[in-house]
Amino acid sequence: MASGEYRLRVRYGKVGRLRWLSHLEVVRALERATRRAGLKYAVTQGFSPHIKIAFGPALPVGTAGENEYYDVWLTRYTGIDEVFKRLVDATAEDLAPTAVGYVPEREVSLAAGITVAVYHVEVEGRDSEVGKVQSALAGIVELGTLTVQHRDKQKVFDLTRSLPEEMRVKEAEGGCTVELTVRMGPEGSLRPELLVRAALSSASLDASVRSTTRVETYFESEGELHTRPL
Amino acid sequence: MTQEDLWPRVEALLGRVERPARYIDREWGAVHKPEAGYRAVFVYPDTYEVGQPNQAIAILYDRLNAVADVAAERAYVPWLDMAALMRENGVPLFSLESCKPVCESDLLGITLPHELSYTNVLEALDLTGIPFRSADRDVSHPLVVGGGPCVYNPEPVAPFFDAILIGEGEDAILEIVAVHREAKNAGVSRTEILTRLAEIPGVYVPSLYTETRDGSGAFKGIEPLGNAPAQITKRVVGDLESVAPPVRGVVPFVDVIHDRFSVEILRGCTRGCRFCQAGMVYRPVRERSADTVVREVMSGLACSGYDEASLTSLSTTDHSQIEEILRRLHRRLEGTGVSVSLPSLRVDAFGVEMAHLVSGGGKKSGLTFAPEAGTQRLRDVINKNVTEEDLLGSVERAFAAGWRRVKLYFMIGLPTETDADVQGIGELVTRTFAVARAATPPSARGSIRVAVSVSTFVPKTQTPFQWEAQIPLDEVRRRQAILRDSMPRKGIDLHWHDAQESFLEGVMARGGREIADVIESAWRGGAKFDAWTEQFRLQRWADAFECCGVDPSAIANRQRTEDEPLPWDHISAGVSRKYLLSERARALGTVTTPDCSFGSCTGCDVCGDLGVEVVLGGERRG
Ligand code: SF4
Repeated sequence: MASGEYRLRVRYGKVGRLRWLSHLEVVRALERATRRAGLKYAVTQGFSPHIKIAFGPALPVGTAGENEYYDVWLTRYTGIDEVFKRLVDATAEDLAPTAVGYVPEREVSLAAGITVAVYHVEVEGRDSEVGKVQSALAGIVELGTLTVQHRDKQKVFDLTRSLPEEMRVKEAEGGCTVELTVRMGPEGSLRPELLVRAALSSASLDASVRSTTRVETYFESEGELHTRPL
Repeated sequence: MTQEDLWPRVEALLGRVERPARYIDREWGAVHKPEAGYRAVFVYPDTYEVGQPNQAIAILYDRLNAVADVAAERAYVPWLDMAALMRENGVPLFSLESCKPVCESDLLGITLPHELSYTNVLEALDLTGIPFRSADRDVSHPLVVGGGPCVYNPEPVAPFFDAILIGEGEDAILEIVAVHREAKNAGVSRTEILTRLAEIPGVYVPSLYTETRDGSGAFKGIEPLGNAPAQITKRVVGDLESVAPPVRGVVPFVDVIHDRFSVEILRGCTRGCRFCQAGMVYRPVRERSADTVVREVMSGLACSGYDEASLTSLSTTDHSQIEEILRRLHRRLEGTGVSVSLPSLRVDAFGVEMAHLVSGGGKKSGLTFAPEAGTQRLRDVINKNVTEEDLLGSVERAFAAGWRRVKLYFMIGLPTETDADVQGIGELVTRTFAVARAATPPSARGSIRVAVSVSTFVPKTQTPFQWEAQIPLDEVRRRQAILRDSMPRKGIDLHWHDAQESFLEGVMARGGREIADVIESAWRGGAKFDAWTEQFRLQRWADAFECCGVDPSAIANRQRTEDEPLPWDHISAGVSRKYLLSERARALGTVTTPDCSFGSCTGCDVCGDLGVEVVLGGERRG
């Protein structure tokens, strides 16, 4: 951070219709919101200067997020309340900030620091009762790994590492909700709906994934899973 | 009417399509007026990312939404994957803002951006469920109104529209909506609605006109039925300062083309290039003042949050205060990471100077110049008042200032073109490359690129070349071969526009009403997104021409006589036929005509005919 810069952290959601945005679309939309908010933001040096901003791990198209984060560097210190109000006024409702705060410059980047996320996967269909889905998931976990085909590449996830906590299945309207904690690793992060889908199909259940929401993203330090970035 | 909110049904499809953000609405700046008693939907006949940046729709959307109790909404043509799912699931075309069926709106405005969009007009109509032909619609259907650049020969699409607006829409759209609303509320018949619309200046109601043909079936003219005017003259806004450009505008989520804030800094171009339809039909020149432009750019950027502002027009660097505008914007935007771009440049020292101002001495993306022809003789024929010295001098200056890439636009098949002119393109490119090389330090020479883009000349209506024959496909290929052989390979990227698409464009540009059947037949044969080269299939069109008994080359490749009736004679862009003919004669005599905004009137008659005049903010630099 150049001297005279302030690292502002913004917590926001990607919900409602805007869960259909891609990560790049979210990035661009929030950069634009920051400029609309009239904040004095820092600009990167170099060939094509642009706003200095950094995001946490990407959310796929169609996946909602309730506690996502980005950092933006400001050149003028502005009080938290003022910044928050300006950002709310300048951001589309479904991407609106829910909290802001300044963080020390030496703190690790969001992209590197956030390694754990909690997801809710909604399941619906004839066989979507809690018990059936629960045992289907248990069957998958027992296998120990999940192989995912992505375009022409295969990725293998070690489920003991990727799933640091036990999955919970709860009753929900029209089916159930699978709550799971996923650890992201250098090999990429396991897409929870792929895991659930694999479970449903291996158990031949007549049920499907309706929607996926990342409800929390956490910093993970020394075995401590649940540290919020803000 | 059901006025069903289709969102739950639309959302159910989104997980299975490319770029779902095309269909979700909720963009910053989108206007929602759910209680409005009158709903107009503007459709751009292409995908969201192509249509969203369209300035004309942005203007109309802004103007109409400012009217109490009227809602203006947007719709685009869904991409193939989404269209297939919508058909499969019985989801009709919906407007973004309300997500209600387009067929339940009051007015459906469809813009006609270019000839290859015509099948997409039908694709959009088909998805709405509205009958293709005006003749098959009744009062339960929205009024289908066309507008945009292609209206200067509306005949190929005339049967699909209830009304077509010729010219600028800022004021006309308000009049059309007012007349339609009042007529609807009064419960008058559809015929009466159309008759009332035809009374609005600039509004063409195709069903009130009929074609006459002689015994052999040859076209003889288009005549009004009843009291409709014999000629429809384009609408034009006298002074751009009187109509503020939309400041807020819709800021897209999707990565669209031209993804930036645009301000139209001037309208019209009077350089008088004889091939250029835009130059003829958007006359006269009207500039916005430097104060207005700077103010609009600054407030537009603040409202939108874009990191780039574009100063648009046909010839932005012709603006008499462009230097002042760029200097002021440069000062205001310094250190913000926000840049300014100019879409078109002059092939002269001034153009390069302006490019330098825009890049602020920093990032140098490619420069684009359009010499259009390879020899001075042919440039004089087309009245492109640019010399080889202008071009080479500009290239030298640009490369000495640090640019490494230049893009050159040319056409083949211009009237009077010989093989020597085609070879001249190769020679000019060779000299350009040599000049660029000499002006570049030896260590950087490896990165020099000259991109050469060559299209086939398509004669357009309302231009001095509207009577000319377009060269046939095999002749295009022969000349392309000559060109390729005359062009150096190293450091040159040669790119052609698809010759088959240009041929079809030529047929659509000058065809008559009989083309409507062909368009419908081609759409039924699977043609859509024809402007997307990978979707275009000439065979579909060949089948359609055959099936409708229309000979396309008799339209595209035939020289017309000066006294024969033309299918667009009833449409006037204000430029007189006398002027077009005299410009044609001057072209054939290789005589150039100056720009009236620099000197005196050249007699195109636009100002007199339309009661408008050239509006400049200062003196122009020729
Ligand atoms: S300079 Fe020539 S080509 Fe460009 S808009 Fe004007 S008339 Fe058309």
